[in-house]
Amino acid sequence: MKKVLATLLTCGLLIGSLAGCGEQASVAPAPETKTEATVTESTEAAPEATSSDRPADHVTLKMYLEGSNVTDDTAVLEKVNEYLDEKLNVTLEPIWGTWGDFDQGAVLSLQGGEDVDIYFTCSWTLNEYNQFARDGYYVRLDDPDNNLIEKYGQDILNLLPEVLIKGSTIEGANGYGIYAVNGYKDIACQNCWDVNVDLLKKYGYTVEDIEKADYFTFGDILAKVKEGEGENFYPLLIEGAVLERMVDNSIIVAGDSGSNNLLSYYINPKKTSDEGAYGNVILNKFATDEFKKFCEKTREYYLAGYIDPDMANPDKANDVRANKQLTGQYLIGTQSYSLGYEIQASTERGFEVAMVPTTPAYVDTTSSQGAMMAISTASKNPDRAMMFLNLLNTDPYLFTLLDFGVEGIHYNLNEIGEVEFTAERDNYMPWTNGLGNVTLLPPQKGQGADFWEGFKAYYGNADEIPILGYTFNPENVENEFAALANVAAEYVLPLCTGAVDPDEKIPEFLAKLEANGMQKVVDEANSQLQSFLASQGK
Amino acid sequence: MGATIAKTVGGDSSAKSNNKRKNRKKTLMLLTMVAPTALWLILLRYIPMAGIVIAFKKYKVYTPKPSLVNNIINSKWVGLGNFKFLFTSSDTLLVLRNTVGYNLLWIALGVIISVSFAIMINEITSKFVAKTYQTMMFFPFFLSWVVVSYFVMALLDPTSGLIVKAQIARGLTPTEWYHDYKPWPVILTICNLWKNMGYQTILYLAAITGIDKSQYEAAAIDGASKWQQIWYVTIPNLRNMVIILLIMDIGKIFNSDFGLFYSVPQNSGTIFRTTQVLDTYVYRALMNSQNIGMSTAASLFQNAVGFVLIMITNTMIRKIDPDSALF
Amino acid sequence: MSTNNKKQKRNRLQSVSIPTEIIFHLIIGGFAIACILPFIFVIIISFSSEESIRMIGYSFKPIKWSTDAYKFVFEMGGQLWRSYFNSFFVSVVGTLISITMCVMYAYALFRRDFKYRKFFTFFAFFTMLFGGGLAPTYMVCKQMLSLSDNYAALIVPALVNPFFIIIMRTFLQTSVPEELIEAAAIDGSGEYNTLFKIIIPISKPGIATVSLLTIINYWNDWFLAMLYVREPNLYPLQYLLMKMQNQVDFLIKNSSVIGVEASKLLQDLPSTSLRMSLVVFIVVPIACAYPFFQRYIISGLTIGSVKG
Repeated sequence: MKKVLATLLTCGLLIGSLAGCGEQASVAPAPETKTEATVTESTEAAPEATSSDRPADHVTLKMYLEGSNVTDDTAVLEKVNEYLDEKLNVTLEPIWGTWGDFDQGAVLSLQGGEDVDIYFTCSWTLNEYNQFARDGYYVRLDDPDNNLIEKYGQDILNLLPEVLIKGSTIEGANGYGIYAVNGYKDIACQNCWDVNVDLLKKYGYTVEDIEKADYFTFGDILAKVKEGEGENFYPLLIEGAVLERMVDNSIIVAGDSGSNNLLSYYINPKKTSDEGAYGNVILNKFATDEFKKFCEKTREYYLAGYIDPDMANPDKANDVRANKQLTGQYLIGTQSYSLGYEIQASTERGFEVAMVPTTPAYVDTTSSQGAMMAISTASKNPDRAMMFLNLLNTDPYLFTLLDFGVEGIHYNLNEIGEVEFTAERDNYMPWTNGLGNVTLLPPQKGQGADFWEGFKAYYGNADEIPILGYTFNPENVENEFAALANVAAEYVLPLCTGAVDPDEKIPEFLAKLEANGMQKVVDEANSQLQSFLASQGK
Repeated sequence: MGATIAKTVGGDSSAKSNNKRKNRKKTLMLLTMVAPTALWLILLRYIPMAGIVIAFKKYKVYTPKPSLVNNIINSKWVGLGNFKFLFTSSDTLLVLRNTVGYNLLWIALGVIISVSFAIMINEITSKFVAKTYQTMMFFPFFLSWVVVSYFVMALLDPTSGLIVKAQIARGLTPTEWYHDYKPWPVILTICNLWKNMGYQTILYLAAITGIDKSQYEAAAIDGASKWQQIWYVTIPNLRNMVIILLIMDIGKIFNSDFGLFYSVPQNSGTIFRTTQVLDTYVYRALMNSQNIGMSTAASLFQNAVGFVLIMITNTMIRKIDPDSALF
Repeated sequence: MSTNNKKQKRNRLQSVSIPTEIIFHLIIGGFAIACILPFIFVIIISFSSEESIRMIGYSFKPIKWSTDAYKFVFEMGGQLWRSYFNSFFVSVVGTLISITMCVMYAYALFRRDFKYRKFFTFFAFFTMLFGGGLAPTYMVCKQMLSLSDNYAALIVPALVNPFFIIIMRTFLQTSVPEELIEAAAIDGSGEYNTLFKIIIPISKPGIATVSLLTIINYWNDWFLAMLYVREPNLYPLQYLLMKMQNQVDFLIKNSSVIGVEASKLLQDLPSTSLRMSLVVFIVVPIACAYPFFQRYIISGLTIGSVKG
């Protein structure tokens, strides 16, 4: 039996590697094109000229996008490729990934080394930017040996805010550098109380009352509304983890996102560019007094019937919350903000909505990595891919075409230059924020002609937190991390929604964190943070 | 058996060599029958199996020439490092207990209930009614666990659940179903039986239908009552199927139906004590890290244990009853 | 034995007593009803109005009924019927090929005089436990076998199921007497002849069962489509549903990181009642196909006698 097994395994490996060889053989022409491309570069020695000059050989670029809803792209691609052919001698083949399918598809495609040139990546999809850059999936764009940004990406550097470049510069497989081009979208983070103004007014309060109060003094207002609206009305509509961050001014540490955020950094809620109460350190936030105080208050609100028990149900909470927001079954909610959202929300929901921010807008590593485009190391034409990304992020014609479609088919412009979509748009809806520099777009109907000026002012002026650019690398504590993710899944949400008694559960939780190596993870994170700060000269 | 035929057919040497040729031809014909499936297995199962080595490596991209094969070959060996996370948690024992416990319980219940169901359906006089029951029993098979979880939720929801409302109406304190771990072994067992009984019953039912009817006739002539016929004819004939399904189940003793343990309890943390199994543990541990080495290691561990258990069970069965063994 | 008894035997081949049968009806009937309750629940949700779902969630008694979901499904028109066709085509063709391969393989394993019987049993069984994982399988299918954006991609990866092979072999063991094979061999029947002319006709219950399970596997499958198909013309019905479900789940789960855009995106996605009406569209045809197989699985006395 053993022999059979061994033979089989060897056979499998052998055939597998043979297949691999076949694969290599079939891609043999690749290096040639590559050298050709470099030859083109060296002959046209002037570095400024290269990005605008049309290279001699034709290449096809495949780009894997997230969140698209595209059923017919023929009209758009015809125009796009006509333009790209003329500019870069490139044919673009987009792969329209959708929400939910993109994660699995892109990860498999990357792991298998498929010949896709450009991938959407960010801090929250499965092909997470920091990890995949570390594992060698993405080309370092500012590689000293082959600095693609310097050669072909100067225009991007000029257009993007500096904070974005800071956020994307990380320690990857090929040293400390940039592994993806950031999209310029709502890059700042700002959490708000989402207030149902109509209901608030009904009980004689104003938005100022909310602004003056804080989470710990909401009690009276909540009590009054609860009493008036009845047993089945829950005035506080919260997302547990977000609420905790809003109340305690803790933020997600990049590299730790998703795993119920074991690590926390505390920001300064008054001036986010300054250090917070604990200084530049990473903490186990569950052990802080803030956390305890927060949980106790939340428990009090939960028992008083201010918080819907469904909010403690991880699978259902978000769904229920989205529905209750839409139908106005809440008084105060938690919401991450983007510019102009109160207007959008008021129209969507049909009642007046106000957003009361708890901090100024700030940029952290996670928010700056919200949408990016990376070039795969498996790409055979990284140079051309960079040229393309440069053009896409700087050329309003191309970007608008790719995002909004063809003028006259998918949209029309009105007198003041706003975009009005036609019915055809339903068949061609890429995800705007996933494409790149959205400030190149014309404003949409209702946004007003000067929309993007306001946008750039709001986001371009957002403060950066002191540790912007720091990303936690869990490689040395992988086993602890795996166990701790389960511990966090067990305790965090029930505690943050008040569903369980903090006096009983917090000590239990902390003991379990300790038993699974929390201290080791925190120490590791801090030592990484210290060396990061040292390298930044802070 | 070839030899038996040879004996019965005749003794002289020409017949023997004739038989040999026949045997060779027979083997060849049978080989052509297994060929398509065998080829499929080689292509779609055995070649990818080389990927198992990822479990022992720290998978990184080989940047000069990225491809799955190159990446695997050039990644660093880490020995059993990828397996560690399965055993270092303070919950490891609990998780293993849940996984194995539920499986053992459900294997036992499954055999007893589905064999009884199959026999009962077979005894129902009206074949039309029997078929209707059978059809209905198959419906759970088409509903995903997510859909089932909506249904369970409609019963147990803390604010609008039917059972919770009934509890309140009777003046009882409503159970916090999604925060109370105690009722979950029962709920999960009910859900599991509900979903799988139709499937298992049909296998036994078909096996019963396939039983040579002359056996019943002979038993009836000997004066056996219906119950005796079931006991002495039906059940022995089902033995093969029971044993085979048992062996298969034992091989999956470290695996669980992920959707059942993840979706139906609504992913609720407070009840992990009775709902956390190896599959959900691994999922939650690796959900955000896409660590292909660790996930391969986890499934290799599950399957290797299953493999060893199957080999042991099979050897034991072969000693007692060679006919029913898997191989 | 009395004449009366004999008569009854001819009619019912001896049955359990009437009271016992009533108990059987209660148990099996009760369980059967429990089995379709959630499906009825699905139908109720599919007829609930969207406001009702928003206000009170999924409920047995929605505030308001509505047929909007079905209207919307029919308005999908082309894609819906196209996907129906794809599901149907893939299920039928896949099952036909799959069952043929399965029966042939299982038959060889069933033959005790097959020289490599043990080897091939193990060869199939081993793959039930060990696999190379998703990424290697994906690469082999896509790059070596070009299973990408074609019907083959939806059929080939699910052709062989070792579990079904072993079940099939077990069926053959219970329903085919050894002497039959010997007799056929003496008659000079070739292996293929024996299999198709003698074995298959008497193994209908087993074949029907495995066919049913196979066709359901194909019908329920969406994972292969997710991996290998990007062309909407090739989407099977289940994938159409899963895609909607996945989109909604993903956006809801990541709403806080995608930001306020998520709420807008979510509004444009198909409603829950629409998804549930698709479940109905998926379940009903396969439930209708069920009796076709059932004929062979519950057929009482008509088959089985092999003495001739």
